[in-house]
Formats: sequence, structure tokens, C-alpha cells
Amino acid sequence: MNTMDEGTVPAIRDEVSVVSTPGLSRPPRRQLPEALALVMVLGALILLFTLTSPVFFTTNNMLNMLTSIAVIGIMAVPGTILLVAGQVDLSVASAAAMCGMVTATLAESMGLGSAVAIGLAVGLLVGVINGFFVTVVGVNSLIVTLGGLATFFGIGQLIGDGQTVLIRDFGYIGTARPFLNIPMPVIIFGITLIAGFIVLKYTVYGRQVYAIGANPVAARLVGIPSRRVIFVAFILSGLAASVAGLILVSQLGAASPNNARGYELLVVTAIVLGGASLNGGRGTIIGTFLGLMIIQVLSTGLTLLNVQSFWQSIATGILLIIAVSFDRLRERLSPS
Amino acid sequence: MLENSRKEIALSVRGIKKSFGGVEVLHGIDLDATSGRVLALLGENGAGKSTLVKIISGDYEPDSGEISVANQTFSKLTPITAGNLGIRMIYQEINDAGTLSVAENIFLGRLISKNGFVQWRQMRREAQQILNDLEVDIDPNALMSSLRVGERQVIEIARALSDKAAILVLDEPTAALSGDEVDTLFEFIDRLRDKGTAMIYITHRLDELRRVADDVVVLRDGNLALSSSDARNIDRSILIEAMVGSKIDEFGRPKMNPIPADAAPLIELRDAASPGAFEDVNLVVLPGEVVALYGKVGSGISEVAEAAFGLQKITTGELFINGGPPARSPRNAISMGVGLLPADRKREGAFLGLSSGMNLVAPFWSGVLGGTFWVNGKKERTSFEKWRTALRIRVSESGADKPISFLSGGNQQKVLLARWLNAGSKVLVLLEPTRGVDVGARQEIYAVIRQLADEGVGILISTSDYEEVVQVADRAVVMSAGKITSNLDYHEVSVVALTDASGG
Repeated sequence: MNTMDEGTVPAIRDEVSVVSTPGLSRPPRRQLPEALALVMVLGALILLFTLTSPVFFTTNNMLNMLTSIAVIGIMAVPGTILLVAGQVDLSVASAAAMCGMVTATLAESMGLGSAVAIGLAVGLLVGVINGFFVTVVGVNSLIVTLGGLATFFGIGQLIGDGQTVLIRDFGYIGTARPFLNIPMPVIIFGITLIAGFIVLKYTVYGRQVYAIGANPVAARLVGIPSRRVIFVAFILSGLAASVAGLILVSQLGAASPNNARGYELLVVTAIVLGGASLNGGRGTIIGTFLGLMIIQVLSTGLTLLNVQSFWQSIATGILLIIAVSFDRLRERLSPS
Repeated sequence: MLENSRKEIALSVRGIKKSFGGVEVLHGIDLDATSGRVLALLGENGAGKSTLVKIISGDYEPDSGEISVANQTFSKLTPITAGNLGIRMIYQEINDAGTLSVAENIFLGRLISKNGFVQWRQMRREAQQILNDLEVDIDPNALMSSLRVGERQVIEIARALSDKAAILVLDEPTAALSGDEVDTLFEFIDRLRDKGTAMIYITHRLDELRRVADDVVVLRDGNLALSSSDARNIDRSILIEAMVGSKIDEFGRPKMNPIPADAAPLIELRDAASPGAFEDVNLVVLPGEVVALYGKVGSGISEVAEAAFGLQKITTGELFINGGPPARSPRNAISMGVGLLPADRKREGAFLGLSSGMNLVAPFWSGVLGGTFWVNGKKERTSFEKWRTALRIRVSESGADKPISFLSGGNQQKVLLARWLNAGSKVLVLLEPTRGVDVGARQEIYAVIRQLADEGVGILISTSDYEEVVQVADRAVVMSAGKITSNLDYHEVSVVALTDASGG
């Protein structure tokens, strides 16, 4: 994770070293698109579970799986932007729970509309706070958001005095199926995915993000306003967390400080599984989506096979380590 | 002869030859290091100093020749035998553990221990003894990071000496030191000399020679160019000639650009100073002019150049860009039409994971060059195609979309230079523009620089390569220890003048 100390090169960076052979350019290594490997893993898993369980490959199950990953996925989109820029936000899950608590607590007295608006505003504020400490004060984002994780969780408990807060008439964004029978969370997730894809691939902002992650010193020397770019990414992350938090509250009909507990690790797992590098400069929205799907297919498939849920967690963990190890090996073995 | 003044040969090298990839870089070198004397090893970059030293330290195996240490003769050394023979290397970069104590650093890698437990008291006592013997007044309990650079250098040497050192090889040990730190080091070397240590002192600073050396050997292009046992009285011009030799007339000078008398300066420094970097700097770069800042590492040349790009603050004096105020930041500088080619391509210049086309258009992502919201992929490709042809960047079809790491060093450098041509910069600051670039690409880069000057761009090059200055610059400003030592006009620029003014 790069700190924002712009004058220096981050200490922990294993850059790809390039041998400059006089007069010769290195032959481009033959390399399959990274996403292809993920698609193949996902395809294999889907095939496996389709053959072993009759209910796996059904529209209903597919929609259920998409609904299950929607909350994590909405947070993983700005999470991908952050990781590509060499930053991380571990406070998303706590922030989501806190925003849900705020909205549920205020809904009774203020009305739903205002309560939702304030919930979203709190998400924005979370982004501003994280962004401030990372870019202005210059604290490593891992530390800042680890602190945020604990702080926001505590605030969530404080608001409801540790209790779950019920909310009425707030089912729409969590449970409605307004279009082609597609659940609302899936629609919101889809919009977020497409927006993230466009931002990273087709906007100057996306280019700035990749440049900062690939080489923060060079980014500064071509005039990229690194602090501003990273600040914006944290704000997007905070906002996404509040949206995710509201969806959870809507699905459950209640807000709990324990909502989304531990989701930050699933978010990071999915992004890294999707090919993003913790050193920054690499990662795509498509990869993140595939990472999310692989985690979910594995989880649902194992459930349908009546495998104990403990094994699902073990399988996800092993899958992550294998995927990243494989990636490192491939990088080391490729002729460079 | 008195007992204590008897000098013995500690290390002797005879007829050492070494080739890399069929090219011979050492053509049979002889030298002797004597106990209680300092042998200065002089030579320009690429003369073969470091290859020779690596053979002495056992890192390289010579193709022929022999090395004698303590009455034993070897056809080659390994790092382990060299270590056992008491050969110790001190490099210019300090490699210590800053968060540990001085005592721990002295015994690093061989901590005094018993049954797996470190014997702290004994280790401190022995460290104190070593420091006392060397007459160094440093607390062995002090944290290494609390010491000054010069002191750390001394501890590094103390570490080498405490471990049975008989022959000490110092590789440009003053490169990172300030003036009085250099004095401390030299006094220390004097004491080691009195104790009978044989030392090989590698440098390219002639002014240090008189102060520290007894014997001198000059290498040039892998040959022994000069050898003398009277280093203190040897004539400076003889040393310079031995170092640069026939290279004096080897390089062509560029055609001089006529500059109109009323041209307004693009970069102007008046009595400018930046603490710890440079002082009293007066410098002007006019449109159509290539001005070289020449000096050794640490002379302040890169800091002066970086000031023009907003990377170094001027505390006294004045700096004008285009006649106006200086840039506050790189971003600000870019908006004023200044471009910077950094010295370290991998760490500061290129986005290695990104495509060549993206690397080219990166300044437009700053948003100060009229950047838009959307990426224009087509323009990225057509721009790259344009500069690929113009600068003869060697890359296959669709090169714009391939990662820049697929290009050779020289071609990467061309992309980074094209970055600023594409951005339409009127002022270019180039730091060591051909470092790590092969000879062919180097000439092509020089041609591009001259062509830009013809088109009216003002160019400031900071370089420690005199060949570069002679081949590409209209004028040269030579610096040493943070001050300008010489202003050389078009006709005065020569290898000898540059070497002389930069302190050798």
C-alpha cells in the first residue's frame, strides 16, 4: 500500500525489472488475457455443480447468487479503484453497518426520505475522513481504514445501544423486483459495475488511478493530482458502503451493528482473486466481478451439496492463496 | 630501515584480463597495494575500476593473470577466500541497520552469543574497545540512525576492520558526504595508515588525491594509463590526460545555434540558493539553446535542474520561468510549458505496467493541458504512431497498446522524451538523458535534442557524462560541491575543461 508521501518512493514495491538489451526490444511474452483464466475456473465450477446438483443451474438460483453478492459487489467496485491506485479501504463493512443504524434510528422520527439521505451523507463523510487521513495527513490507508473499521463498528453499537433497530416500510431497495423479475439489489449492483467499468477504462480519472498505482513518483512528475484522485476514490468507497448498508437493512427489515460484519475481507478477497495487485497498478472491474462470482458459486454449490459451511470458508481461503500464488509464479516464470 | 616504517606489499595484482560477452574490458592490469599506504585508483566511468575491484573482492573471475595476498598466489578469488584473506570492501552506499545500535552494527552477522543468547555486555565492551582503538568518539549504544552519514561510514569501516581486515577497498567513500564529514573520514584514513592497513581508494575526484593518497594508478579503457608512487606531487594536467587520453578530440561538437540578441530567457536563476543543495547559482537558458549542467554526483547539478520544474525550492535569490514566477509543483511547471525527463527511468519515469501509448500521453492526465473527461484511445494511438516515426522508436505494429516494458531502454527513453514533445513543452529539463541507453539510441536522442533546439525549445541538461556535454550542448555550466566553478561558452567546451572545472 502506498502512503501519500509524494516525495519518496514507497519502500515496499517489487517492480517488474526490465533488462534493457542494447538495440533489441524484448519479445512480447505470450500471455493469455488474465480474465480468461478466471472465466475458465468459474466455468469449471459451474459445470461441476450443475452436474452434481439439479437446482444449481436455474434462473432462480442464478438470481439468488447475484443477490447474495450484490452487497459485497457494490463495495468491491470502488474497492477495485482504490486497490488499483495502491490503496485499500477496510472500513467499508463497518461503515455500511453504521449507515444502516443511522437510517433505521432516524426513520421513525424524520421519515424515510430524510433518514436515507442522512445515511448516505454519513457514508460520504466516512469517505471524506478516510481520504483526509490518507491524502492530507499521509497515513497509510491500511492503518487509517483499520482504525475506521473499529471506530465505525463502535459507533454503530453506540447508536442502537448495541441493539437491533427495526425499520418499517423499507423493503423496496432490498426486496423489490421492478424489472424482468430482477431483484433491486442486483440492478443497483449492475449499475455500479457498469459505472465502475466505464470509469476505470474510458475516463481520464481511470487513467490517473492506474498511473498512481503503477508508479506514484512518475505520476507526480507528469502532473497527476494524486491526492485529489485518491480522495475521490475514498469518497466513492464511503458512498458505496452506505448504499450497501441500506440494502442490507432493507433486506432484513432491521439494522444491526453486526450487519455486514467481516465483509471487508470478502471484498478484498474478490478483488485480489480478480487479478488486482496489492502493489497497485493492476486490476479490472471484470476481474472483480469474476472474483465475486467464483466465491459465490463455490459457496452456493457446496451448500447445495450439503457440505458443512465451515468448509466453504476453508475452500474460499485456499482458493485465494492458490490463485495469487499461481499469479506470482506465472510472473516469475515468464521470460523477462 | 626502522622496524615500524618497513612497508610490505599486502596485495599484488599481475596481468589481469577480463572480458564480458567477447569484449575485453581489462587488458592486463598490474598494481600493488602496500601496508600503511593508500593507493588511489583513478579513472572515468567505464575505465574498468569497478571490474578490477570486483576481481579483487572475488565477485568476478579473471580470464588470466594472478592475485597475490600474504605470500599466496591465486588465479582467482572467491568472495569467501577474499574474506578469509582480510580483503574488505566499503561501498559508497551505506548498508547498515539504522534501527539497531552502533555495537550491533559493528558485530552485524556475527553477534557475540552464548547458547543462542546475545552477550550484550561483552559485545558493548568489545565495540567500545574497537572504537577506542580507532580513536572514534561514538557511543556504542547510540542508535545507528542518530549518527551523521560520515559517522555511519566510519562505523561501516570499523565493522570491516574489527573483522581481521588487512586490505581495505574504499569505493568512492566521499560520494555521499558533506565537507566536514569528508575531513573526518580522511583523518580516520590517516590513522589507519599509521596502523599499517593497506588501502585502495577508488575515486574520480582529483582534489582528494593530494589529501589522501600515497600511490596512484590511473585506468583508461581497461589499460593502465599511469602509475606513480608520488601521488601528492603529481601534476594535475598529467592526471587528467591519463584519465581522458585521446578522447579529447574524439567527439564532434554540434552546430552552434544562432541566438537572437533580444531573446528572452526561458529559465533564469539569479544568485539562487537552496540549503544543502546549491548556492550562488546564476544561470540562463534561452530559446533554441542547449545548456548542460555538468558535475559529479552530489555537485548540485540535478537539484538546480529540478528547481526549474518546481521540485526544489529556492530560499534565497530568484528563479524565473518564462520571465515569470517559478513553478510551485511539477503540475504547475507543466502548465507553464516545462517538461522533465527524470534520471531514473524505471522508478521516476515510466509506468512499466501501462502501454507505450498511455506512457506517451500521460502528461495530459494532469488536467492542466486541457485534458478532457473521456479517454481518447484513437488519439493515443495516432500520437504514438506520429512520434514512433519521428523518433524512430523501434517497436512492432500496434506497439502503442503493448506495455512499455516490452521496449528496450533506449526506446523507452525515447517514449518518455516524446511525452513532452507531444505535450508541446517549450522548456525541457533533462536529467541524465542517456543513462543506461545504448550507443546507437544515444546518438538518436542527441539528434532529437538538437532538432528541438533548432525549433526554439530551451533545453537544460543535467549530466555527469562529459561526452554528453561535448556532443550535445551549446554551453556548459560546471558545478562542484553546490557551486558553479566554471561557465564554458560554445568554443570553450571540451573534455579537459569540463574535467578540470568539476574537480577531476
